Amino acid sequence: MFQQAFTSSVELLINKVLSLNTSKIDLKKLEQKTLTIILSELNFPISLSVNNNKVLVSGLTERADCTVNTSIKTLQELKAEQQLTELIKQDKLDLTGDIKVAQQFTNLAESLNIDWQSELAAHIGDMPTHKLMQLGKKVADKFQFASKQIKADASEYIVHEKRLVVTRSQIENFNQQVSQVSNQVDEISARIEALTKGLSNT
Amino acid sequence: MSDQQRNQSQDVQDTTSDNTTHFGYKTIDKEDKVSMVAGVFHSVAKQYDVMNDLMSFGVHRLWKRFTIDASGVRPGNKVLDLAGGTGDLTAKFSQLVGKDGKVVLADINSSMLNVGRDKLRDKGLVQNIKYVQANAQYLPFEDNTFDIVTIAFGLRNVTDKDMALRSIYRVLKPGGRLLVLEFSKPEHELLNKAYDFYSFNILPKMGELVAKDGESYQYLAESIRMHPDQETLKNMMDNAGFEQTSFKNLTGGVVALHKGYKF
Repeated sequence: MFQQAFTSSVELLINKVLSLNTSKIDLKKLEQKTLTIILSELNFPISLSVNNNKVLVSGLTERADCTVNTSIKTLQELKAEQQLTELIKQDKLDLTGDIKVAQQFTNLAESLNIDWQSELAAHIGDMPTHKLMQLGKKVADKFQFASKQIKADASEYIVHEKRLVVTRSQIENFNQQVSQVSNQVDEISARIEALTKGLSNT
Repeated sequence: MSDQQRNQSQDVQDTTSDNTTHFGYKTIDKEDKVSMVAGVFHSVAKQYDVMNDLMSFGVHRLWKRFTIDASGVRPGNKVLDLAGGTGDLTAKFSQLVGKDGKVVLADINSSMLNVGRDKLRDKGLVQNIKYVQANAQYLPFEDNTFDIVTIAFGLRNVTDKDMALRSIYRVLKPGGRLLVLEFSKPEHELLNKAYDFYSFNILPKMGELVAKDGESYQYLAESIRMHPDQETLKNMMDNAGFEQTSFKNLTGGVVALHKGYKF
């Protein structure tokens, strides 16, 4: 029943996000239309239907006007109509049925514009929201800086440090030389022992 | 179920005849069951949704979603939500069949029907829903009327289940399907024991505390134990004429969804 828990949560999330949009979203064009998404990462379909300006999420595949087979990664790239066609050409996305339904759902996702600051302020007040947003910005900046630093260090390593790193064959050669020296030392030690024994017998 | 409870349920099953049936572990006259079950549901109707959430820890919503997903409902379909109570399935079906479809919420109990009607109207679901007070054994619909019939947590309260299944078969269109969502027999012994302890010790106390009616929830636990297990119900559906019957256990068999087609 993971599928049902998942679709239930997604339905709640989508309708919450739609209700938070700065301008009222009109879903009339999509009324009674169904888009079924089959993601390679999930073993069940996700069907999005529209009824009375609300999005219903289910596992029903029988009613699909359009079915999209793709992956989560490709879905993230799917932000504009042009990209939809481009992704189909690149075989990253397989589409059957009415392409307009998929385009209208894509446009809907594109048109979302939520004023998170106002939404948060309505719940916790203006000042705490302002402070929280400042803190959020600082943390985001630090993460951005850290990520840039890591990228710079990595590129420096690749360009300069990597040249100085010993290769596998060099290490093997060195190990071989060490074992040769070790054998020679063992031989000398055995010879010294034998000579010492001969000396003590005389 | 304790040995005593198991023996008790076995005794009751053995002693029922043509004129008697079960009411929990009691053996009663068939004609008394409708009014006794009605008494239970008149009593719990107002707290029904709250108790469902409490008793199942909210999982009943997932069981119902599973039923919707398994129904294959399409826009324009006619759906009968039998013993539909407070209308959880009807609400979803109403949205999925759209303005060209129709959902009939039927229940034998007027209190449950009233609670369901108020709840659905509050949600703004009015245009494609009809409310009918009906006994599952004598459905007041023409032959071959519905694409889908569902009965969720209702069949075990019906006096003559075979008769109800035949009645449902009659009102289904050829190609239509019946979905029975009902408590059943857990698959694993350990789960069975834990479930029995919960049902007979905790559930009636929750009923007493929240709905001020421990007896009704004692009946609920007993009626679940008296309900046919997965295979028996499947055979009953076969005998009523359904084809391609199958069942799927949910939450380890605590609940099972049976499905059958009329061709």
